Amino acid sequence: MKPFEPVIVAFCCHYCAYTAADMAGSQRRCYPPNVRIVRVPCSGKVDTIHILKAFEKGADGIYVAGCLDGDCHFKNGNIRASRRVASVKGLLDEIGIGGERLEMVKISAGMGDRFADIAEQMTEKIRKLGPNPIHAARTAA
Amino acid sequence: MITAERKPLEEIIAYVRPFDRILLVGCNECVTVCAAGGRKEVGILSSALQMAFLKQGKNLQVKEHTLERQCDPEYVEELSSMIDGADAVLSMACGCGVQEVARRYRDKPVFPAVNTTFMGASERQGVWAERCQGCGDCLLGITGGICPIARCSKQLLNGPCGGSTHGKCEISPDVDCAWQLIWDRLKALGLENRYEEIIPAKDWRTGRGGGPRKIIREDLAE
Amino acid sequence: METIERFQTRNKVLVVGGGVGGIRTALDLAEAGRDVVLIDAANAIGGLMTHLDRTFPTNNCDLCTISPNMSEENRSRHIDLMTLTRIIGLEGAAGDFTATLSTAPRYIDLTRCTACGECRRRFPECVDFSPGLDHRAPTCMRYPQATPQAFSIDLARCKDKQALAACCPAGAIVLDDAESRRQMRFGAVVMATGAGIFDPSALDNFNYGKDPDVVTSLEYERILSASGPTGGRLVRGSDGKVPEKIAWIQCVGSRGLQKGAAPYCSSVCCMFALKEAIVTKERFADQIDTTVFFMDMRTFGKDYEQYYQRSRDEYGLRFVRSRPHSVMRRPGEDRLTVTFAPYDQSVVKEEGFDMVVLATGFAVSEEMRKTAEALGIELNEHGFAKTPGFNPVATSRQGVYVCGMFESPKDIPETMIQASAAACRAAALVAPVPAKGVEAPEGEMAEDELEPFPPERDVTGEDPKVGVFICECGENIGGVVNVQALAKDAGSLPGVETAEVLGYSCSREGMKKIQERIRELQLNRVVIGGCSPRTHELQFQDTIRRAGLNKYLVEIANLRDQDTWVHLDRPAEAAANARALIQAAVSAVKTARPLTEHLLPMNQDVLVVGGGVAGMTAALRLADQGYQVFLAERRSMLGGIANLVRKTLEGDDVQAFVRDLIDRTLAHENLQVITSAFIVDHSGMPGMFKTGMQVGPQMFYRQINHGVTIMATGALPNRPSAYLLGEHDAVMTQLEADALIEEDSDRVAAWENVVMIQCVGSRIPENPNCSRICCQAAVKNALRIKELNSEARVIVLYRDMRTYGFQEDYYRKAREKGVIFARYETDALPQTEAAGDRVLVTFTDPILGRTLSVEADALMLSTGFVSDDESTEDLAAIFKLPRTSDGYFLEDHIKLRPVDLPAPGFFVAGTAHAPKSIKESLSQAEAAAGRALTLLARESINLGAAVARVDDSKCAACLICVRVCPYGVPFINADGYSEIDPAKCHGCGTCASECPAKAIDLMCFEDDQILAKLNGLLERMVA
Repeated sequence: MKPFEPVIVAFCCHYCAYTAADMAGSQRRCYPPNVRIVRVPCSGKVDTIHILKAFEKGADGIYVAGCLDGDCHFKNGNIRASRRVASVKGLLDEIGIGGERLEMVKISAGMGDRFADIAEQMTEKIRKLGPNPIHAARTAA
Repeated sequence: MITAERKPLEEIIAYVRPFDRILLVGCNECVTVCAAGGRKEVGILSSALQMAFLKQGKNLQVKEHTLERQCDPEYVEELSSMIDGADAVLSMACGCGVQEVARRYRDKPVFPAVNTTFMGASERQGVWAERCQGCGDCLLGITGGICPIARCSKQLLNGPCGGSTHGKCEISPDVDCAWQLIWDRLKALGLENRYEEIIPAKDWRTGRGGGPRKIIREDLAE
Repeated sequence: METIERFQTRNKVLVVGGGVGGIRTALDLAEAGRDVVLIDAANAIGGLMTHLDRTFPTNNCDLCTISPNMSEENRSRHIDLMTLTRIIGLEGAAGDFTATLSTAPRYIDLTRCTACGECRRRFPECVDFSPGLDHRAPTCMRYPQATPQAFSIDLARCKDKQALAACCPAGAIVLDDAESRRQMRFGAVVMATGAGIFDPSALDNFNYGKDPDVVTSLEYERILSASGPTGGRLVRGSDGKVPEKIAWIQCVGSRGLQKGAAPYCSSVCCMFALKEAIVTKERFADQIDTTVFFMDMRTFGKDYEQYYQRSRDEYGLRFVRSRPHSVMRRPGEDRLTVTFAPYDQSVVKEEGFDMVVLATGFAVSEEMRKTAEALGIELNEHGFAKTPGFNPVATSRQGVYVCGMFESPKDIPETMIQASAAACRAAALVAPVPAKGVEAPEGEMAEDELEPFPPERDVTGEDPKVGVFICECGENIGGVVNVQALAKDAGSLPGVETAEVLGYSCSREGMKKIQERIRELQLNRVVIGGCSPRTHELQFQDTIRRAGLNKYLVEIANLRDQDTWVHLDRPAEAAANARALIQAAVSAVKTARPLTEHLLPMNQDVLVVGGGVAGMTAALRLADQGYQVFLAERRSMLGGIANLVRKTLEGDDVQAFVRDLIDRTLAHENLQVITSAFIVDHSGMPGMFKTGMQVGPQMFYRQINHGVTIMATGALPNRPSAYLLGEHDAVMTQLEADALIEEDSDRVAAWENVVMIQCVGSRIPENPNCSRICCQAAVKNALRIKELNSEARVIVLYRDMRTYGFQEDYYRKAREKGVIFARYETDALPQTEAAGDRVLVTFTDPILGRTLSVEADALMLSTGFVSDDESTEDLAAIFKLPRTSDGYFLEDHIKLRPVDLPAPGFFVAGTAHAPKSIKESLSQAEAAAGRALTLLARESINLGAAVARVDDSKCAACLICVRVCPYGVPFINADGYSEIDPAKCHGCGTCASECPAKAIDLMCFEDDQILAKLNGLLERMVA
């Protein structure tokens, strides 16, 4: 049996995290191919339901990536996103998915390396946690 | 507005476990405004429930619908087209809405997904506080616009008690002493002498003391 | 293509040369509303940059980064392009020139040519452009994205002319085409002719031209390039084998005393050799051994020093400090033998290499010298256009400006800076030409696109018919994943009408193909699988709009930057990800809706932050053109660091210049100087900024409304505590020495021994970059000391002498005058100790291999710059601007947009961007003004369509949007519903994600689109 390769969704804000992801590209900084990026204008745009639906569809891990504190292009969207992520983590615990599968990260536009590092860390972490239990149960059923 | 909070998922799961098809009904009034049971929360709960059951190997079907107001029969009637497709109804409205749905659809089990908490006001984004207990005999005209029934922990009519310290209630330093607030406000209005008047014991028959209450407007009622 | 009326008025600018510099100048002028005629002697524009495989320091593919520029170029309604055209005469004066232009025959009737490529197919050998490697082309299309998309014929090389003419199905080949001449009037002229490349066949010791394994760096670029002669395969010319050991030899044709070589430094060869070696390592890792033979590593540009460090530490490049004596192949030997003497050993060594790359420099061609003569432009002793010390893009003839390599050898960012500066200067001599009822923000010159946008096709109610176009992007995508398989897979997705592979969707050819398919198949949605939407979304929106679709019906899957570039080590996973990304894009675009955009009036006032020479110059250039400028300076006086400088390396009087600049700044009627101003807040968007500042000793609050912002806040002279600085009177910085030499020449003349130490506080872990100006400062002061006392012994202890460009002349002069230059290594730093009035300096001379001590009367430390970290940190937070790790403002694109900051409406000039000389700061200041003009010329601002929209029927008037909006835009209207003014909405989507009634959607990022995208992205999992 092949080792478990998680699928991770990264919601990236256009101004910082998405730019950092592009930057990792132009630096040819390789990172695990498990991360799939969804571009949003601001991390504050990431709705609870977007996160839940991604898990429902089978994502094994999710992170919301916004600007560094104080750098948000829209003043405080990243702070709002952090709070929301913290609350959704609680809900994920209630559901039985586990809040640790969701993270909030903050990256500035120039941090291509950090983007890749986070992709590596997140992949490693989710690999250890194993498949999304919802998805696993669905596949078994 | 009537405020509410979502029940723990575990409790809701226990209600709906016996059923396969759920109609999840939100309300676009108070519970939307207090972010407990509007369209957004209905979507979140629907997704959360389906995932929680999937984990247990069960494919729960959830139909989402949000009514303009769940405490009015005409709006509740909207559900008639979808009620047959459901084994049970889960309501995210306040207790009034839950009961209205239960009254209209007698053969369907109806469960609350929120705990109705109080009648309150929004202090700021994300914070709601209790302001009224619906006693049926409003005192605000003599208490400077601050209700001692809802906001004094002991519901004292002639306060404060000895537990008032530096303007805070003895139950918690986060709770203002309602009588301190009343005094400050009366002073600001130049009505200090009103404080001297003893408020007589309250007739609770207008409140819950008289049993369930009903309002009938003869001019409006048909 | 010729607009007759435009040819008759003098109210336009002539730009000579269609390389990146000329294109930038033309675009800036066009965006600022000026008419431009852009001529190029070649049959297409693009210049040298299109020959490069990748550019440093990002190692991007050039074709991709420049092609949006080239397409922009084509779209601009203000630009007339004349290829195969030269300027042969210029009469008149600034504001009213008459130029004589000569156009060579193309032998192709452009109006008939359909660019079908039949002639190319009949002559398959003609396709590739490979200078020096393949001379066979009679019909040449110089590179796949050539603009305009037409062929040209070199009739002299054609053996059967009639057969060639007959092969064209359109009958576009005209054998009797002839040279034509015309006279045109212009207000200003910009010379952007570039420079030629040194031909090393003149040097017999390197065997170039005789041995196929000795190539120039440009040829090596072409070998690496996917569109080059070998299709991107790295092989040797001699036997077609992949080389295992490659040497780069620096300074070929530069810094030379060899026959025909130029004495100056060509400035860019160090970086491009590093880049070529790194790209080689990226592709082949340990299979190829890369060695660079060099004299001084001149990585003086912004962040270039770190690139150099990485090349050594991460990529394992080997560096040998030596100028090789010869490259030859011994009879019967497979390898070339390089003979060299390492600089610190008195021995001659030999080493074998499979390939040798000569890092050839740049020189002005004979033809350019003649052109300059015909135009009456004075050249310097090296044949480059002469410019005054404080007037960086002005030639000796008023109204004629210069940018790029024709001014001096330089790399792309500096060319771009000068190009925008030249645009600024030229714009002052011609008036803007208003648009003529064209709906599109930018028109087009080609026949089919001269028309305004076609009416939008109403696609509501139609079932989705999606066209998927997947870019190969050369090797970038096509080299990692199988694009054909990807297209096949995409074609099977529901709703997809067609899925096709394109070489480069962003090329003119690619865009045209997309438009054709939209029309033919009545597509109503488009997905591009290519590079980042950050860089190319606007372009593709424009492409589909021209085909009659609403511009918001396109979705871009970022296959390159976020897949093939980062997973090139795992092609199978990269392919799986590519499929998911395409599936997500298809799924999302099907829910996309046509949207309309919002316009607002533009505030045409300017705020310049920082009153040094850069800030004042930018302010004056804009004030001169009639704009109201506010110049805010933190200190109580203007002038900045230039106040501390007396002389430049070239001997110009800095103080006189600064005084004059301050006088003009204070006297200008359109310029308001606000000193002692601390910026405290900022809001708004380009065209309607508001910046608050506390002013004067009373710190009273003042708010400025402005449309654009120029950041010219400068850097600080570095003053690290090292080598007894601040502890001993004989120790000083070069800046202090500069003043001392000017003010106390008697004291200086009495010095017997002077020691200078370079790179103090620069190129060290705490401040890793090069401060750029210290080598020239040391040479300047050394020469002045020698002038005061020719007997004085001056010793410069250095790591690499970075006297780039014509500064090399002064470095050579200093050596001739007896200044001693001795290297030191970072593991053996010079030692200093006080010895009475003098300082005892002890250092190791690597050539003598001995430790020497000197009692110095003066010890001058080349301390360079550090960023004004405190100030840029505050301003970065207030204005939301990113910074580099060492505290300088980070530009939008290090290569192509070095003046624009990433926040729209912000430009940067001077040492706030990176360490640079006064002349370079002035150039960037004019460039910032030039770039600002492109915004100021607009009457309105387009706010786009990404705004929040409220569905009344769902709104519960809960006030949550009102409370969470960071800009306070939503309000509950008289009808009792939330209302969001699209003109004020910034499009963050916070309200949409918080709305408890799900009554708000952010256009372009609607919830159903995001969910559809997630569905697509995770599709296979639910299967």
